[in-house]
Amino acid sequence: MLSHRSFRMTAPFRQSLLAVTGAGVVATCAGIVLSPDRTWPNLLLANTYLMSLALGGVLFVALQYVSHAGWATVIRRVPEAMTLALPVSGVVMILILFGIPSLYEWSHPSAVEHSHVLQAKAGWLNAPFFVIRTVAYIGLWIALSSLILRYSRAQDLDGSIDHTLRNRRVSASFIVVFAFTFTLASMDWIMSLQPHWYSTIFGVYNFSGLFLNALATITVVVILLRRRGYFGTAVTEAHLHDLGKLIFAFSTFWMYIWFSQYILIWYANIPEEVRFYTMRSGGGWLTLTIVNVLFNWLIPFVVLMPAWAKRSEGLLLRVCMIVMLGHWIDLFWMILPPFMKDGPTVSLWELAPMTAGICGFFLLTFTSLGKHKIFPVKDPYLGESLAQDH
Amino acid sequence: MSRRILVNVFGSEEDIVGAAARAREGGYTILDAYTPFAVHGLDVAMGIRPTRLAYVCLAFGLTGAIAKLGFQIWTSAWDWPVNVGGKPLVSIPAFVPVTFEVMVLFAGVGTVLAFLLRSRLFPGAAPKATYFRATDDQFVLVLEERDASFDVRNVEALFRPFKLLHLEEQIVRE
Repeated sequence: MLSHRSFRMTAPFRQSLLAVTGAGVVATCAGIVLSPDRTWPNLLLANTYLMSLALGGVLFVALQYVSHAGWATVIRRVPEAMTLALPVSGVVMILILFGIPSLYEWSHPSAVEHSHVLQAKAGWLNAPFFVIRTVAYIGLWIALSSLILRYSRAQDLDGSIDHTLRNRRVSASFIVVFAFTFTLASMDWIMSLQPHWYSTIFGVYNFSGLFLNALATITVVVILLRRRGYFGTAVTEAHLHDLGKLIFAFSTFWMYIWFSQYILIWYANIPEEVRFYTMRSGGGWLTLTIVNVLFNWLIPFVVLMPAWAKRSEGLLLRVCMIVMLGHWIDLFWMILPPFMKDGPTVSLWELAPMTAGICGFFLLTFTSLGKHKIFPVKDPYLGESLAQDH
Repeated sequence: MSRRILVNVFGSEEDIVGAAARAREGGYTILDAYTPFAVHGLDVAMGIRPTRLAYVCLAFGLTGAIAKLGFQIWTSAWDWPVNVGGKPLVSIPAFVPVTFEVMVLFAGVGTVLAFLLRSRLFPGAAPKATYFRATDDQFVLVLEERDASFDVRNVEALFRPFKLLHLEEQIVRE
């Protein structure tokens, strides 16, 4: 059953990924010089996307540990590999701190001077504290996720059950720490782009998009590896079915949270709150609002409803790619309106950071996959996971 | 009318899944299986066609959603128009939460009731207990003895790889 071969990227594939990532990085650097007001928000977007994939990977692994779930053990190396993007995106996030003046209105003394709201928020929204918080979030995430990965990989060598037991505790801590820090991080990095606006559900909304996109990406990588035979016969349609169910559920969860945020603001109709939606309900932004809901919810919801669709490799792959595109649109929709008042436009400055982010993500994930066994070969739950054939 | 059945008792879920597949290959008619918990793969092994409960669920859900949406439009815009904060009388976003909840309620309750009805599990239904430990720790597969050529010894031979704990013939009235 475990007649697997370890993963290897072919040299041309690796080099082309490297070349495209490099080109994206160069173009982004050029953009920071030539068009900083457009490039900084897009760099923030691309890095948030990259980081959300890495965090979603850790979260997926942590959830398997705390829920004592066995079904996903055969595919666990995929979300584990995704977390290599976490230190990279952490470093980029710290570089993005140099863009604070271009990104955040609250960092301009002249803006604060004329706004009572910004004066009241200055205790939280000020550059030094913002930098400290950013470093703290990233440090905590990297520390906890590297512990989880270390125990999981150490188990490949000695097969000790202690690694599983330790990882249960570390995973539980990660989930609690992540819930608080990610809520604050999404408020700091994204919500404070429009510092007069606030939404208490914003953290949950970002989490729902993060996890939906991470599930879709895990599924894409699993399907690509499966098609090339790296999993042998170990990953069956039953595993795809389970991933499909999670995507279906979290897509609906995303819509539920999206609407929960919208309806409270729409109903109360308070000027400083509705501004977020009025900016996004005219012209091209309205189109993007509709496409956002379509890609993140309606298409996955309708297509993945029947059981056979979740078990169909080709269909699941296509839906996951739509969701991956949808998460870019979702972040675009959250981050860019204050910088593009005339409607969404896509040029080199939008595409370059995102291209570097996506290609860099696959480069890192595939590199990490090649370094370790493609199955957690001595995990006590591996047998249960292999027996998933219903 | 009555019919003869053969009750086969197994000790593990792997055994009953294997035995069910074997019995079907051997051309026997599986009447039903009784297990202490849901056994993955047993439906496939028994050759049961996919459930149609999903369509019942969809129908109930749509009924609930349409009925509740219609009701809200009728009460707040038609029968007694209420102006809430200057919003249009038919403000769909305001109706969505209640419509959603009623849809879920109809779909959930309706599906459970349809399942109970279809499985003949309602007050006054004739009990179908064939072997009591199926509700405790053992797994029961029931075969129909269709004609005189049915031989219990053949079944025993067929199930030899699966650790048959117990086997008894029963006559049930319908």
